[in-house]
This record gives sequence, structure tokens and C-alpha cells, in this order.
Amino acid sequence: MTDADRRTRMLQLASGAVFLAVAVVLVLIVVATSSGGDGGDTDLEGAAEVNRQLAGIPQRGMVLGDPGAPVELVEFADLQCPYCKAFTEEVLPPIIENQVKNGQVKIAFHNFTIIGEQSLPAGAAALAAGAQGRGWNFVELFYRNQGAEDSGYADDAFLEALARGAGVRDVAKWNRERDESTAEVEETTAEAEQLGFTGTPSLAIRGPKTGGLEPIETPGSTGDLETAIEEAR
Amino acid sequence: MSYPGEGNLQRATAFVAALGVGVAAYIAVEAAGGDAPTCLAGSSGCATVAKSSYSHVAGVNIAVFGIVGYALLLASAFFANDLARFGGFVVALGGFGYSVFLTYLEIFKIEAICQWCVASAVLMTILFLLQATRLIAYAGNSEVLPDRA
Repeated sequence: MTDADRRTRMLQLASGAVFLAVAVVLVLIVVATSSGGDGGDTDLEGAAEVNRQLAGIPQRGMVLGDPGAPVELVEFADLQCPYCKAFTEEVLPPIIENQVKNGQVKIAFHNFTIIGEQSLPAGAAALAAGAQGRGWNFVELFYRNQGAEDSGYADDAFLEALARGAGVRDVAKWNRERDESTAEVEETTAEAEQLGFTGTPSLAIRGPKTGGLEPIETPGSTGDLETAIEEAR
Repeated sequence: MSYPGEGNLQRATAFVAALGVGVAAYIAVEAAGGDAPTCLAGSSGCATVAKSSYSHVAGVNIAVFGIVGYALLLASAFFANDLARFGGFVVALGGFGYSVFLTYLEIFKIEAICQWCVASAVLMTILFLLQATRLIAYAGNSEVLPDRA
């Protein structure tokens, strides 16, 4: 093959490569545009169920329920904590259904990060979702997709997929505000320690019959929690 | 049409590719340490982009692919043969195409601009132009031509 032949062949191949590259970039852009989300390959469970459960309940920051509800339950929890997951999925739902929805109780989620280093960014991500009225959706969805304790699953892609699944509308804003929320996570963790809590979930309650925010023993059942609420009312 | 000497194109490629290795390595090192590259003027764009799920492909930070690409281009600058010319062009074409896609993502999907990513995109664009020029001007040359004065 002469130099001229080789040159012609190389330029033909290069032209083909350029067309291929243009096609690939266009396909990537079309796929990214039509996907609507970028939660990576994280498969979420329970998004529809969570969004259905919380539909119609007011959310302000990390407070679920009518801001004027006479009784406030404050849950101090670590999103990576399996006991918090069990409490939220097994004890809380009847309270949310029967007492939060009718405006008698509001529940505040406060981060109390004790499990591992991903607890802080996870908690901050929940707060940033709360700033868009989807904090409880984020928390509930986190628990439904919780992995093995402190196993490294709660990375940025996981959190972003949760934010999208939880219905956070402005994910770019959520992403920007995550870092700014870490101070608040540290504040509520300090608050939990001041209240004498050493594990999660820990609860405190405020109502007409309490002297401010009072720690209570973590209820093992919905009935125990109903009793604590009744005593505070 | 007159083209720059191949030696000049090779030297320019080596210089720009070395800068690219530096930029990509900085992003990769910061990411490995759990941080985001520092944006100038206090912008949070770098952190936003670094935290996006688009910052990784198959679990690998895309800056690592950048290091590999720039290193290959740097290597291609040390040889004056058709393999280096065509290989350099293909790598630069891939890098340029992916830079276009990433810039699209930053503007329309992530809605944040990372200055280091822009720097890398600019470097890759320059390298693509250098490699295209080199291929068009010197493909098929079996002899190294001296640079024009």
C-alpha cells in the first residue's frame, strides 16, 4: 500500500469515526433528556406507597402534620439505623393515619447521627428535601430502601435517587442545599445528647400537659405511643 | 493550504495533554478524598456537579477516564507515525464528544457549572483540533518531515 493509499484509507476511517461520534453523542443526549431523572441504576422500593401514605398531610421542613396540632412528637433518629426503620414502618403508620391526618399530632424528624459517616450527609439530604416540602417522603423512602448498617450504600447516587423518588421538584437546588444543611444535623444531634439520649430512635413529646419538650421511653408498640400522646394531651 | 509542522503539533499536543492530566488528576484526587474540586469565586457548581450521579460511570469517577485519555494523547505526541496520528485523533474525538455531552448535562440536567470541567472541555477541544489538523496534514507520511521555519 502506498502512502497515498494509506492516507486515503485513514481519512475515510476518520470520517466514519466522526459520524459515529456525532451519532453517539446525540443518542446520549436524547436518552438523558427523555429519562427525566438520573438516579443511576438505583432501584427504589415503595416510592408510590410512601407518596400515597403522606398525600394531603402538610409538611413544613421536617415537621409532618398541622403546625397548630396540640401535641408534638419529636423523633430523634439516624436514617441508617434499622431500629428507626422498624419504628417508622411498624409503630408510626397508625399514628400518622389516625392522629396526624386529623390535626391532633404533628411529628418532627430530628437527625441524631450515631451510626456512621454517611449518616451526616444522609440527614442533610433529608433536610434539603424538607426545604421543598418532601422531607418525610425522603425519610420514609430512605427507610424502605435502607441497606446494611453503615455498609456504604448511602452514597450520592442513592441519595439523589431518593430525592427524585420522594418528589423533590428542584433536584439542582436540593443538591446545592445539602451541604448547607449539615450544620443543622449537627445541631439536632447535640440537642439529642443534651436531652440525655444515647441511642436511636429516641423520642420526646410536647403537649398541653408537658412542661416543654420531655423525653419519653421509646415506645415498643403503637399502643404505647398512643398512651404517651394521651398523657401529653 | 499550509499546515503547522508536525513537530510543532506534537509539542503543542504534549503541552495541552499534560495540562489535561493535571486537571483530571486534581478532580480525581479531590473526589477520592471525598471532596469536590474547589470552584473559583466561591461558586458551588463544582460540588454540585461532583455530587451528581453523572460524575461516575460504572462506579468509576469520570475524571479517571479523563486521566487515561489525556495520558494516551500525551503518549501519541512522542511518535510521528500513522498509529500515533490516527490513535491520537480517535482518542481526542472520543474525549471531545464526551466533553460536549458533559457540558450539555451541566447546563440542562445538573444545572450547575464546574469550572474544572469547563477547563477540561476546553483543553480537550484544543487537542481535538490539533489531532484533526495533524491527521489531515500528515496521514500517510512515512517519513518525519522537518518543521517549517
